[in-house]
Amino acid sequence: MDAVEVKRIVKSFGSTRAVQDVSFGVRNGEILGLLGPNGAGKTTCIRVLLDIFKPDQGSVSVFGGPMTEAKKDRIGYMPEERGLYQDLALQRCLVYLATLKGLSASEARQRVGQYLQQFDLAAHRDKKVKELSKGMQQKAQLINTIAHWPDLIIIDEPFAALDPVNTQMVKDLMLDLKRDGRAIILCTHQMHHAEELCDRIVLIDRGRVVLEGALDEIRRQYAGNAVLVRVTGALPEVGGVLQETRHNHTRHWTLAEGTSPQDVLKHLVSSGAVVEQFEIALPSLEEVFIKVVGGPDPGRSPGGEAGDA
Amino acid sequence: MNKTWLVLRNGIISQVTRKSWLLVTCGLPVLLALIMLVPPLLRGNPSGASASSEPVTSPTVEGYVDQSGLITRIPDNVAGLLRPYSDEASARRAMASGEISAYYLVPADYVESGDLAYVLPDPKAFSLDGQSWVMRWVLLVNMVGGDEGLAQRLQNPVNLRVRALTPSTGPEVGEGPAYWIPYTTAMILYIIIIMSSSLLRSSLGDEKKNRVLEILMVSLSPQQILTGKVVALAVVGLLQTAIWAGTGYLLLKVAGGTINLPPASQLPVAVVLWALVFFILGYGVYASLLAGLGALTGPNVPGSSTADFVIIWPMIIPVFLMTIIIPNVNGLLAVLLSLFPPTAPVAMITRLAVGGVPWWQPVLSAVLLGVTVALVFRVVARAFRAQVLMSGQAFTSRGYFALLMGREEPDTRSDCSNVGLE
Repeated sequence: MDAVEVKRIVKSFGSTRAVQDVSFGVRNGEILGLLGPNGAGKTTCIRVLLDIFKPDQGSVSVFGGPMTEAKKDRIGYMPEERGLYQDLALQRCLVYLATLKGLSASEARQRVGQYLQQFDLAAHRDKKVKELSKGMQQKAQLINTIAHWPDLIIIDEPFAALDPVNTQMVKDLMLDLKRDGRAIILCTHQMHHAEELCDRIVLIDRGRVVLEGALDEIRRQYAGNAVLVRVTGALPEVGGVLQETRHNHTRHWTLAEGTSPQDVLKHLVSSGAVVEQFEIALPSLEEVFIKVVGGPDPGRSPGGEAGDA
Repeated sequence: MNKTWLVLRNGIISQVTRKSWLLVTCGLPVLLALIMLVPPLLRGNPSGASASSEPVTSPTVEGYVDQSGLITRIPDNVAGLLRPYSDEASARRAMASGEISAYYLVPADYVESGDLAYVLPDPKAFSLDGQSWVMRWVLLVNMVGGDEGLAQRLQNPVNLRVRALTPSTGPEVGEGPAYWIPYTTAMILYIIIIMSSSLLRSSLGDEKKNRVLEILMVSLSPQQILTGKVVALAVVGLLQTAIWAGTGYLLLKVAGGTINLPPASQLPVAVVLWALVFFILGYGVYASLLAGLGALTGPNVPGSSTADFVIIWPMIIPVFLMTIIIPNVNGLLAVLLSLFPPTAPVAMITRLAVGGVPWWQPVLSAVLLGVTVALVFRVVARAFRAQVLMSGQAFTSRGYFALLMGREEPDTRSDCSNVGLE
């Protein structure tokens, strides 16, 4: 059973249609990437899913039915930036928000204490949230999202303010949560993170789903006629290569129409070259994204998702 | 634990631990204490640094030397406050020994000239708001031959009561309790409601700005958020009022003053209880409306400074019409204003304070107000859901009332840009 099933939702604000006929679902033990450029409609979809906005059309099923107040306790949501009381002490803020998710005060204190240790924030527990660095606030928000051990986790740009060490820590945590059977929706426009973490993606542009499916399938679908090759020693002359680019010792060959990767491999082997690496070159998610969404659109909102709805 | 209770508790704790709230709540009584207590202390200690080596005389006991022979008796109510001396030399000795703090010299031609000398050890000790009234009272009583009743009448010769020939449904127009009690009660109610509602609006605006409301809405229903916050800030408002009133009373006691209202000026318990009911209901209506405003605009957006007034102005109407309501306490206008929910809190309290209101009217008014609270609460909760996540929009009356009428989103293109379609 899908933890979430969004079916053909439509949402307009005045005369502007923010989301049109969007459908997606996420299963337990899966990370779904909800991707799209700024202003595409990702956050509106999330807010409809969370029952903050009512859809004009379509339906949302959460844990097998419509959203209820009790089900909200099984959801962890981390909006992009902010979302914490700036004037409260860190621990007090997190404990209060955790109790709103149904934990008892003692339980909340215990779990928040553990996570503060885990995220290296224990020394800052009595500081006001506004006194923390952006990265620390980001980690604190993550603690707020998972402290009540939700079954469905929705995270909007979790890596925005994190350094590489903390980014890796958050990625590991997300993978742990996935292994633990939680359903995770990751909203981002940083494709390399989505590529690394997501099982499936839904790409939204101008309020519509323009691409969806398992990550490998999508990359294969958008793969051009190209191969990655690394050989030791002299490289024989190979026909049918339109373009070559190099990354260290690996060559990326774009092949001419009518030349298949099998032809190239056969030729290399028969020429006596020592082939160390030969594989079909799949496009990165970023390349797929650019291909599908295209270049900058002057009609698109310039400001970032920044959460504004 | 009930989530509404958690919001309520957090709302109270967050508010009362704010530096600005503590400063205002405690600063005002401290300021009042300084104003009330420091001048008398300075007067009682005129010599400054040498105070510790000299006995401080009681500032309430003074002396007099009557060379005119006018003063034959001291009225009982000031008997301990004035001591007679046969000549100035003995009065001066008494002052030097600390027996009295000052003395009056009543010259022989006092009745003709009205001149009176006030002798004190140090000019710094003189104060216009001292107790010269004691001597004035003694002289007045003695000038009318000791008749205290007549002296009192001379002090306040006119107690004006206007009586119109056409019949009135209310009490006669007069100066005094019939006017100031309703005015004071209504103004206190008005101030508490405005204070608490503004706190609520600012708190919601902050939460909207830092997107905590978005987090709260994934944990709570809009009704739970609103209920918790509205009640919390009502408690905070009442607490602040209680602290100010309590401190004021305490300071008055410490300073030696008393509040002895004549029986006609004291409010019956029933009226006080009704005042509490109408405060709670009135606060419910206006706090909810201002909460909707907080959700709609957020802090520091264009028009927000005038927005409060647009919402609150119906409550002010009865204040301006008191001169009509009070003399015609059961007139048509008074009854209508006290039954119409937006004006009812102030209008009904005014009428109840005057008296003579049929029992069913406050009951009906409270019921109507209760229904209004429920409706406004429901509408604002719905608006909360729709508006809470919009970026700060400039306030327009049209937009606000359209929102309350159930239109979720602004329908102009420019407004849509504020929606932040992500």
